[in-house]
Amino acid sequence: MVNSQTNAIGIIFPNSYDVLVPDLVNVRLMASIPFASRYRLIDFILSSMTNSDIGNVSIMVNNNYHSLMDHLGSGREWDLVRKNGGLNIFPPFAEKNSKPYVGRVGALAGISNFLKGQKEKYAVLTDTNIAVNFDFRAMINAHIESGADVTIAYNEQELPESLLQSQSNGKCFYYTFDIEGGKVNKIYVNSKESGVQNFSMNIYVIEREKLIDMIEEAFIHGHEYFERDVLIPRLNQMNVQAYKCDKYIARITDLKSYFHENMKLLDEYNLNALFEGPSVYTKLHGGNPTRYIDGAEVHNVMAADGCIIEGEVENSILFRSVKIARGAKVKNCVLMQGTVVEAGADIEYLVTDKNVTITAGKEMKGTDTFPVYIAKFQNV
Amino acid sequence: MAKEMIAMLLAGGQGSRLYALTEKLAKPAVPFGGKYRIIDFPLSNCVNSGIDTVGILTQYQPLVLNEYIGNGQPWDLDRLYGGVHVLPPYQKANKADWYKGTANAIYQNISFIERYDPKYVIILSGDQICKQDYSDFLRFHKEKDAEFSVAVMEVPWEEASRFGLMVADENDKITEFQEKPKNPKSNLASMGIYIFNWDILKKYLEEDEADPTSENDFGNNIIPNLLRDSRRMYAYHFNGYWKDVGTISSLWEANMEVLDPEHSGINLFDEDWKIYSRKSAMPGQLISEDAVVKDAMITDGCQIKGTVKHSILFEGVKVEKGAVIEDAVIMGSSVVKAGAVVRHCIVAENVTIGENALVGAMPSGDEKGVATVGSGITVGAGAVIGPNAMVNQNVEGGGEQW
Repeated sequence: MVNSQTNAIGIIFPNSYDVLVPDLVNVRLMASIPFASRYRLIDFILSSMTNSDIGNVSIMVNNNYHSLMDHLGSGREWDLVRKNGGLNIFPPFAEKNSKPYVGRVGALAGISNFLKGQKEKYAVLTDTNIAVNFDFRAMINAHIESGADVTIAYNEQELPESLLQSQSNGKCFYYTFDIEGGKVNKIYVNSKESGVQNFSMNIYVIEREKLIDMIEEAFIHGHEYFERDVLIPRLNQMNVQAYKCDKYIARITDLKSYFHENMKLLDEYNLNALFEGPSVYTKLHGGNPTRYIDGAEVHNVMAADGCIIEGEVENSILFRSVKIARGAKVKNCVLMQGTVVEAGADIEYLVTDKNVTITAGKEMKGTDTFPVYIAKFQNV
Repeated sequence: MAKEMIAMLLAGGQGSRLYALTEKLAKPAVPFGGKYRIIDFPLSNCVNSGIDTVGILTQYQPLVLNEYIGNGQPWDLDRLYGGVHVLPPYQKANKADWYKGTANAIYQNISFIERYDPKYVIILSGDQICKQDYSDFLRFHKEKDAEFSVAVMEVPWEEASRFGLMVADENDKITEFQEKPKNPKSNLASMGIYIFNWDILKKYLEEDEADPTSENDFGNNIIPNLLRDSRRMYAYHFNGYWKDVGTISSLWEANMEVLDPEHSGINLFDEDWKIYSRKSAMPGQLISEDAVVKDAMITDGCQIKGTVKHSILFEGVKVEKGAVIEDAVIMGSSVVKAGAVVRHCIVAENVTIGENALVGAMPSGDEKGVATVGSGITVGAGAVIGPNAMVNQNVEGGGEQW
């Protein structure tokens, strides 16, 4: 057969790190959080897979996944409607006594028969809390060349404040590691080290059959976490390689980082860096261009299509179909789809969820270090 | 299973009066209104009216149009039975022919229509901007027990002689047809949209084909023949927005009217009658700190650092610092470099306007020309493009074209 596809399946964990952004995932999960004015976080990883010719993608949804199902539909926008492979969505298998997954082990054990039935040699595992235009093909090639058992992608950055200060570390794990000659020597769980770290992106490449063996064994022993319970104990027996990602990365670790990662895209250098390379696909909506009516004052703004702007907007991110009435003032805000800011309202440092209305004349202000979040459908 | 009504969309015309814009693509594929192409209007009208089977007759430069239509999914026309079909001329066992005229194009696809066994066939034109409910037109056709109906618009009497006119009695029954007459007897202009009972259409198409002197045209042959035989013919009055965008100035004007939905009557923001289009995947538009944007429509992927006034920018247009755009239509992925001034013009796709170049001019006196730059053209730095220019070849830096 002509080798048009990459010899790997993709497995995505869309609920990972939900606990870091409780407000944003109240009505959704990490993967379907709106980002960068017209995308949802999963669009980046999913498009990267498509652009790396991974045509067999499984999504291990756990809870709050209606919005994600709606977003993905049949997977057409990502070219994942296929006779062989394509997009598979695996909710937890509902049985007596069944619970949502705790970690990757339980999730993957539940689909081990599916995994055994696939033909691809490799498996790629990833979360969705990072927006990156990732080159999976390059990573898989590096994995093959190095002869590794497991390859982990990482970037070099300081640990975000929110993780350093987090009290909820018992429910949420993040990983940093020491690297020697490309090999991961030691993996730290929830490190509090300051300075630049080798910060895991939780993207893994592993042979599919090896993955099945590891998962089945771990599951029998009642283990839950792939990293803590499978990788770390075997680090000495296995060849675990590190793969450095130099691409632009937007990592969401709390509401504040969500706000700032959006805002950073107002700098065209960052925007162009994030979208450099192949296209990022998303669900397409029937929409018209954004209309700037005479009298609008717009500076330093990223907007999706379908907005109607009559008021003043500065340093803000507008998602689809946002309406800003005459005389309204919007500064340093992230306004999700369908937000309406009525005449004379004055808002600053707000993150409004979908279909929020700020009624006429209201004044509402957060701060740079503490943006105020307004939940879906709220009328302020 | 029979369909009540299917649509046949005439999309084969060259659109020669759009010159540089239709050198490489058919007129219905010409971009319009920021993120549409002209053909989105009749296609969306079909879907919104409940018509799920559309044959698109193509002939001239069909590649862009074919790719754009694809499987018809953006218009919900990817259907198991019916849906959208692109119909180029094809070779039959005993002969092969180009489409010789509008009627001949339909004649050559009689077997396509018969696959759906429709009661009615609506003939649409792929070069108009119009939001119209064809189901209301069909209701009228049935109420009148018509065999043929034509949609008409009232036009000012002084302009009537530029159109094909329907003379109708007080019951809207057509008594006479005048093609661009010197002395108009009516001000009801044909919009080129017809509903036929299929049996009647088929009969007249076959008869027309058998006539070697015929031009095989609906206006010149089929309609006069129907009149000759005193068929039940009615004129359906349409009073919504309608524009034939067959010329540069009318195309420019229709785009400008999109900017003013409150007064022009063409509202693309209407949730009840959406116009669908095939979209690309580009990030949100970025309006930078120094940008000035007034009374404009801007689309995904644009990056604006200059001044944009009363203009429409399609997907992925870049406007550099100090550039000025006014009363202009700038199509997809074109770049206007620093200091360039672009006014009262149409700039097609993938054009580069060099630094400090001057394209078009605001109208003054009788001079109302709309400068036009064809797709893929580079206008060099400091070049000057006059208000009546039709640019279809690169213009060197410092060069001029009038």
